[in-house]
Amino acid sequence: MSKSTSEAETLYVEVHRRMIESGEWDRILHQLSSKLSESGWTDDLLHRAKENSRSMDPLSLQTILQELLSHAQTSVPLSVKREITTLIKQFVKEQFEK
Amino acid sequence: MSASPDTALFGEESTEAHPGIEPSVSSDASENDIERCSHITSVFADPSAKAGIIDKFKTVVAWYARRTHDSLHPAKRRKVSSPTCDTCNQTLSRPFVCLHCSFAGCWSDGHITNHLKETGHTFCTDAKSGSVFCSECEDFVFDDTIDELYLSTVISVEEQRTKFQVAKRGREPYQPWIPTGDESTTLKYIPTVPCQGRRGLLNLGQTCFLNVILQSFIHNPLLRNYFLSDRHNSRLCKHSDCTCCEMDNLFTEIYSPTNTPFGPTSFLATTWKVSAEMSGYAQQDAHEFFITALNQIHGTSRGNTNISCNCIIHQTFAGQFQSDVTCEKCGTVTSTIDPMLDISLELRSKSGETATDNTLASCLRRYTKPEKLGAREYSCSKCTKASHEAVKRLSIRTLPPVLSFQFKRFEHKTSGKAAPQKIDAPIRIPVSINMAPYTTLAMNATGKDGEAGYPGPDAMYEYDLFAVINHEGQMDNGHYTNFARFQDEWYRFDDEKVTPSTLSDCLASNAYMCFYVKRHLDYKPYMKPTYLVARENDIVREQAMEREKEAARMKEVDDALMAMVGGD
Repeated sequence: MSKSTSEAETLYVEVHRRMIESGEWDRILHQLSSKLSESGWTDDLLHRAKENSRSMDPLSLQTILQELLSHAQTSVPLSVKREITTLIKQFVKEQFEK
Repeated sequence: MSASPDTALFGEESTEAHPGIEPSVSSDASENDIERCSHITSVFADPSAKAGIIDKFKTVVAWYARRTHDSLHPAKRRKVSSPTCDTCNQTLSRPFVCLHCSFAGCWSDGHITNHLKETGHTFCTDAKSGSVFCSECEDFVFDDTIDELYLSTVISVEEQRTKFQVAKRGREPYQPWIPTGDESTTLKYIPTVPCQGRRGLLNLGQTCFLNVILQSFIHNPLLRNYFLSDRHNSRLCKHSDCTCCEMDNLFTEIYSPTNTPFGPTSFLATTWKVSAEMSGYAQQDAHEFFITALNQIHGTSRGNTNISCNCIIHQTFAGQFQSDVTCEKCGTVTSTIDPMLDISLELRSKSGETATDNTLASCLRRYTKPEKLGAREYSCSKCTKASHEAVKRLSIRTLPPVLSFQFKRFEHKTSGKAAPQKIDAPIRIPVSINMAPYTTLAMNATGKDGEAGYPGPDAMYEYDLFAVINHEGQMDNGHYTNFARFQDEWYRFDDEKVTPSTLSDCLASNAYMCFYVKRHLDYKPYMKPTYLVARENDIVREQAMEREKEAARMKEVDDALMAMVGGD
C-alpha cells in the first residue's frame, strides 16, 4: 500500500515540476482564472471575504482563509472543473508519451 | 542586516529593472498610522535595514512579474525559472520568499512561516501579489511604501515588455509627480478638500436618466481628475451654453463639503438649449443622453478637432473597431476601422432567442463572432464575379481607458404590433474583465493549439468595474438608479438617496449600462497642446513687434534731434 502511494507521490512531484518549468502551469492557471471570473465565483468570494471581514476582530488573513476555504472548493462550477481537468489530463498524457 | 539579491535564484537579468523610481513624499503619511505594523516601522527607521528589505522586495516582485509574462506570452519556447522549496524540495508554484535571506518556500504547508520562526527573520513576501507577512504580527501587513514599490516595480516590468503595433518607440515610462520646492510650500498652506463624491442628485421631474449618467461621470476617475485639476475653469471660459463649464460646476458642487442633495438645474438647462431633442420633461433614454452629453462636452472642449481629437472625452472614451471582411472565393480581406465611444451589446442572438447564461464575456464573444454575409450583401473588389459569400468579423482595434457597455434592452419590434419590448434577461457582469480575447491583435495571433500569441502584458487588457446603471419598469414608465464604487466600497444612488451597498447587490442588479476603467494606464510623451504653442508664438511675435515699434520711435526722436542740431 505504502509503496504505491509513494510511487504516486513521486510521479506527482515530477509532473508538477514539468508543468511549472514548461510554463504550462501558468497558462492553465490563466484559463482557470478567466473561467472562474466569468462564472462569478471570484466575485462571490470577494464579496464574502469583504463582508466577513467587516465585523471581524481581530482582523486576520488566516481567519478569512479558514472561513472561506471549504466554500471556495465546493462552489467551483462543475463545467469549469471538467474543462480544466481535461487540460491537465492532456498535459500528463503528453508527458508520458515523450 | 542587509540581503544580497540572489542571482542564482532570480536569474541574470538586471535587478535594476526600474529606473530608480523613489517612493513619493506621501508614503511618510503611514508613519503616523497607529495601525501600521510596529515591526515594519522599526526596521524602516534604520536606513540600511530598510534598503536591504526594499531591494530584496523589488528583486522578487520584478522576477515574478517577468516570469509570468514570459510563460503567458512566450517569445520562444524556453524553460521558465522554477525555484524549489528549501524545506521540501518541491517546485514552487506560488513562491514565498524571505526578505532577509535567500530562503524560498511553500505557504500552504507552513514551510516559509517555520523558516521565519526558526531563524528569527521577520518578513517574507508572496512574489505574485507583493503581500508582506510579518512573523511577529502573524499576519499580512500593509505599508504604503511597500504598496507603492510593488506597483511601480510591476508597471516598470510591464513597460519594458509592451510592444507597440505601429510606432517603433518604446513605451513611455511612468513618472510620478514630485512637487518642486515651491510647489511643496504652496501645498502646505492649501486647505484640503475631501476627495469623495457621494452626494445625491435631486430629480427635477423625470430626470433620473440625467442623474445616473452624471453619477457615472462623477465617479469616472479620468473625468474626475480632469475637472478637479481645474482643466476647464468655468470662470475663465468665455463661451455661453458651455457643457464643459457645467461639468466643472458639477464637480465643484459634488466635491464640496456640503452633503445635501444637489439639483443639476443649469446642466439640464444647457443640455436642452444645445440639444433640442433632449428637451421637455418626458422620460429620456439614459444611453441617448450619455452620447449627447459626450458630444456636447467634446464640442465645448478647448482644442477639440474633428479627427484624432485630444479632448478629455476622446482621451477617456475613444477606441476603435476593426471590421474584417474575408471573401470566401479569393480570400482577400478588406479591413475598415471605425471610431467608437462605447460598445452596445445585443442580448439576443440573430435567431431572436435570448441565451440562458448571459455574461458580459458571452455577449462580447457573440459581438466578435464571424458572421456570414449573404451573397447579395457583399461584392469582392478582387474577384471578377460579383456577389460572393463573405465572412465578416468585428474586433476591437484600440481599447480606450474607460470602457462603456450598453446592453440593448429596448428593442423596437419591426413587426409593428405591440409597443417596443424591454428585455429583462439577467446578465452577469464581472468585477474585472480581461479584454484581450476581443481585440484585433489577439484574434489575429491566436492559432496553433489555441495558444494566445499576443504580446501582452496582461495588465494592459485588465479593466475594473466602477459604475452600473439600472433600469426598472417598462420602456415608457421606468426609473433609473445606479451603483458606483468609491475606492473599495459600493454605493447605491437613487436620485437624492445615497446608501452604502455591497458588491453582490451591485452585480445582481441586472445592468443596463456598465463602466469599466483600465487598471494600468499607458502614457504618451508629454506634448504641448497646439493651441498653447500657437499662443506662445503669438506672444513672441507681439513682443518682437513692440520692440520694432519702440526702435522706430527712438529713431524718429534721434532724427528730429539731428535735424535740430544740424539746422543751426
